[in-house]
Amino acid sequence: MTNPGQAKAQAKAQTKAQQCPQAQAQESAQPRAQMANRRSLTRRIWRLIPPGLRQPLGIVAALIALTWLVICLVGPSIAPYDPLAQDLPRFTPPGSVAWLGTDELGRDLLSRILAGARVTIGLSLLLVCLSMLIGSLLGLLAGFFGRWVGETIMRFTDLVLAFPTVILAMVTAAALGASLFNAVLAALVVSWPPYARVVRSIVMGLRENEFVASGRLLGFSSVRSMRVDILPNTVGPVLVMASLDIGTAALLLSGLSFLGLGAKPPTPEWGSMVSSAVAHFDKWWLGVFPGLAILTVVIAFNFIGDALRDALDPGVEKS
Amino acid sequence: MISPKNKMFRLTGALGAAALLLSGCADNGNEDGAAGEPGDGATQIVVDTTFDIKTIDPAREYEPTGQILVKALYDTLLTFADDDTTTVIPDLATFESNSDQTEFTLTMTEGRVFSDGAPITADDAVFSLQRLQGLEGNPSFLLAGVQVEKVDEMTLKLVTDVPSPSLPAVLATPSCGIVNSKLVQENGGSTSATDSAEEFLNETSAGSGPYILEKLDTASEAILVKNDKYNGPQKPTYDTVILRNTEPATQKMNVERGDSQVALGLSGDMVDSLADNVNVESVPSATVVFLLINADSAISEITASSEFVRAVKNGINYDGLLEIAGRGAAQATGLVPSVFLGALGSADALKYDAAAARTAAEASGAVGQKLTLSFPNDIDPTGLNLTTLAERIQSQLSQVGIEVDLAPAPFATEIDAYRDGKEQIGLWYWNPDYMDPANYLAFGPGQSVGLRAGWPEGSNPAIEALVSQGYTTGDLDARRTVFENWGKAMNADSPFVPLLQPGSNVAYQPSVSGVYYNPVWLINVAGLGIA
Amino acid sequence: MSHMDDAATASFAAGPVTDLAGSGGQVADAAEASSAARPVSDVAGSSGRGTRRSHGQLWRYIGKRLLIAVGLLFGMTLVTFSLTNLVPGDPVAAALGQRAADNPETVARFRAEYGLDKSLPAQYAAYVSRLVRLDLGVSWQTHHPVSEDLAKAVPATMEIAFGAIICAVILGIILGAWSAYRRGRITDQVLRLVSLVGISLPTFWTAIVCFYAFYYRLGWAPGSGRLTPGVMAPPKVTGMYTIDALLAGEWRTFVDASAHLVLPTLVLTLYTVGLLTRFSRTSILEVLDQDYVRAAKAKGLPGRTVFLRYILRGAAVPILTMVGLAFGSLLSGTVLVESIFGWPGLGSYAYQAASKLDLLAVMGVGLFVGLVYLCINLLVDLAYGVIDPRVRIGQ
Repeated sequence: MTNPGQAKAQAKAQTKAQQCPQAQAQESAQPRAQMANRRSLTRRIWRLIPPGLRQPLGIVAALIALTWLVICLVGPSIAPYDPLAQDLPRFTPPGSVAWLGTDELGRDLLSRILAGARVTIGLSLLLVCLSMLIGSLLGLLAGFFGRWVGETIMRFTDLVLAFPTVILAMVTAAALGASLFNAVLAALVVSWPPYARVVRSIVMGLRENEFVASGRLLGFSSVRSMRVDILPNTVGPVLVMASLDIGTAALLLSGLSFLGLGAKPPTPEWGSMVSSAVAHFDKWWLGVFPGLAILTVVIAFNFIGDALRDALDPGVEKS
Repeated sequence: MISPKNKMFRLTGALGAAALLLSGCADNGNEDGAAGEPGDGATQIVVDTTFDIKTIDPAREYEPTGQILVKALYDTLLTFADDDTTTVIPDLATFESNSDQTEFTLTMTEGRVFSDGAPITADDAVFSLQRLQGLEGNPSFLLAGVQVEKVDEMTLKLVTDVPSPSLPAVLATPSCGIVNSKLVQENGGSTSATDSAEEFLNETSAGSGPYILEKLDTASEAILVKNDKYNGPQKPTYDTVILRNTEPATQKMNVERGDSQVALGLSGDMVDSLADNVNVESVPSATVVFLLINADSAISEITASSEFVRAVKNGINYDGLLEIAGRGAAQATGLVPSVFLGALGSADALKYDAAAARTAAEASGAVGQKLTLSFPNDIDPTGLNLTTLAERIQSQLSQVGIEVDLAPAPFATEIDAYRDGKEQIGLWYWNPDYMDPANYLAFGPGQSVGLRAGWPEGSNPAIEALVSQGYTTGDLDARRTVFENWGKAMNADSPFVPLLQPGSNVAYQPSVSGVYYNPVWLINVAGLGIA
Repeated sequence: MSHMDDAATASFAAGPVTDLAGSGGQVADAAEASSAARPVSDVAGSSGRGTRRSHGQLWRYIGKRLLIAVGLLFGMTLVTFSLTNLVPGDPVAAALGQRAADNPETVARFRAEYGLDKSLPAQYAAYVSRLVRLDLGVSWQTHHPVSEDLAKAVPATMEIAFGAIICAVILGIILGAWSAYRRGRITDQVLRLVSLVGISLPTFWTAIVCFYAFYYRLGWAPGSGRLTPGVMAPPKVTGMYTIDALLAGEWRTFVDASAHLVLPTLVLTLYTVGLLTRFSRTSILEVLDQDYVRAAKAKGLPGRTVFLRYILRGAAVPILTMVGLAFGSLLSGTVLVESIFGWPGLGSYAYQAASKLDLLAVMGVGLFVGLVYLCINLLVDLAYGVIDPRVRIGQ
């Protein structure tokens, strides 16, 4: 799972990064006159919603994501049972006793899925934030200082990227011991490089740009020019990348848990719930529902990420 | 029809349909080739199991799948009948021992031959046993302290310093299989650590068993074919035996659909939902799953207290554990499993008593503390998922006031902490090495497993006395008494909590007969017949 | 509906830059960015002022890339070696089991046999020196040379991976092009959603669901493994059963092996096709707007010619990059899929090795997959020059 995800992130990084220079080229070429014309107030508010979300599907995706986020916050309190209580008959099929059935220990599946939202979504967000911070920082350093600092960092990035991701994450998780926190660390090891690459390429482009160069001529320090001129320009693309990465992160983390390298029992985690379903094949509900939970979360965040990218690109143009 | 299935259909669309059409055709094309019924004269049986195998060199192998194969490829000097796990019977040899059980004389059976037609002599037997000892491989410990001597062409003598009533049972293990000494020596074999015959033996079987090796791929399958020269008592029925590495979930489907004839790795739960067209042989296995509570106060003051041990022993609802273990499982009445001499009756088993457990837990100072329960999570002894079991134990202990955190780890990582006696509470299992209760004396104070629980020599002189009697007492009735007393004392005072014996479930097509569970080699494929 | 069209247009207004006209800085940026998608790349230097490609430069370029590749492989062995030695467990106890590890002689022999009695740097040095002689060592678990194990596992995995990538590329480009041609219409929206669902599927879950549905419930697909028991594997040439069966003219074996390939390939295709559809759509949209495509259309060339000779060729570079990436990721993705289908491939082998602390096997797998990654990237880079002469090599 890791690697496909990473590939995707990189692919997007590529599209993204490539858009920047063209965006700048388009700025002069494309007069924005027609956009300023005749905007009613409602239209203006409508325009504030990212374009991708303005479609019916986008609205559905946003609603799904919102629902999951709400479940993250209030999950345990709306669950019909204690997600850890082993009180119900084992393997009850979905029905009136337990809407989504019970598992091999007589725990309510619905309650566990609701409680698991906090684990999967919360940790995915944490992972994305951490890889964004670390990757951007390294990319910034590499892009700004160029020469050997940049070379060293980029060769290191190459090294991590050339590594088979799942195996690297697997060995890291094994070395650190299985726990959710360690799974995040293991995933972090393989998920920061795309950010470093993208940030570096943006910085490299900007460094040659007139306004940065003029800042230098004015005698601004590197820290200042990094803060004032470069950092703000990387924020948009990086945020877009990060939003597209949330789904990938959820897939990677649940994949590690599926392999037994993430959540520790009895923590309700979707990936490990699917993995326990492998042994109880004929009890289809055990695997189907947690899997659907992963799928809907990933779809919703991917869709929102897509929409954000669409929305933020013109934003980059304008700034 | 379930919803995701429909979803998948819509998703895959034409691709899926086209692809599956192809597979459908292929399936039809294969049906006659895969069956276990006699087709064009030749018979074949497919056995699915989850592979745990490194090698099939008898002197090196010590994994379950290796045992199954070596049992079929190599005869041993002595053996057990398929349906009796307590009495040693002759195979390639007959035996007599002196009254001290320190000298065993084995006389080779006349006329038996290897698969290349060469007669089996005492030289082969001596070479095979000395090779097992000399290789310093995994099963070498079996014959530690045994002197093997040739007496004449057809006789050999085994001598030990201490009485060894369990030696005949040891000689019946597949690791003590007799190899063709000439053939093995020609291919690098020797009785020292310089032996290099493993590669040869993984490609060619050099034994006298009912089957010979056709092909072995330790990752996917092993194919055995009938040994035409076999002239022993266990005439094989099937011309070909295919042993396949298959995930348990797939095993279940394969045997239900007739893609395989025997499935060895089904858990109790899977067996419960098995289709009616499949027979099941369910017996408690000889694997004992137990809790280890560290008696070393340097590891934990709490677990080292006898009150805590009592709290755990009383606090576990053994019936609640059996519920998740599924069909065939039984409470382990003591550390010695039910198939062996000296196993305890159910009256002597540990009992669930929540009130007593709560009182003991409070006295031990465990209430309000967090302890750690460690276990290997990538190994399912006899189809029992240790993670599920640990979750149930955690929940039960919590009800009597003992809170534990679960610490699963891969076997490879966890076994280190276990062997070094570093676990506060450990959930482990023990498979018998040979069919004799002496195996379990390792749990005594100062013995190898006892030390893992921080239980050194001198901790309990009464039990230690019983341990040494257990190793040396030869008389059957006296032996039974010694082991029963040992078992009761261990239940009362040892830092081990015998939990259960998971069920051994062999699912098989009604067309197959002769399915018996064996604690050491699991199943004798040569004994399988056509019903 | 107007806002829908609007959104779709906006979302793909900017695409990969293939037009290198512009200031030096932007060229550098574009080249850098396009190389960003590939793990190792020095296609264009930061100056962006490429010189004309000549044979000498091509060889120097290849040489440089190979040197970097070797350096990376070396780095990978170091990383794996350190990580595997960080694991708290003792591989000896793991390899020997409960009883044998109690026997000090057995343990000592094992340590000596695998060189574990030496210091870590000495162990690493020994490994590297063997590696130079192309000896990957002997696996502690299987007792076979790692290279032999790999020779068995790799073709099994390649069989799925090749199948999946071929299906995914064909379907991905067709769907992507269809989507691009119908930009903003309902077909586009539906395809966009479908490809999004594709990349959102947890492959381990898809594998279970497919297996349950198509094998267990419907019985359409054959069971696990590579062949139905009783069907003998064809004589080994490539190790890929389908190809070997064809070479040997064993039709039934071929059909059987193909049937077993269907489900694992399907699962991996589902994911990859989503990725490639999305990417092809963006790339083709970008090319559709190019002047030379408009000119070709204006000249009245038939639609198929325009698509194949102009559009596809123009979009090929970014798509190719993506295909390379996707193929590499397929190899890793097999870890989660192979165990469910009982497929004795690289993924299963890697998982077994990692969980059993089989150091040499883990390093072997790591090196192999790394090597594949590097080769793919090299091929993709070289193909760039062939497909798109605007990409210049060298500095």
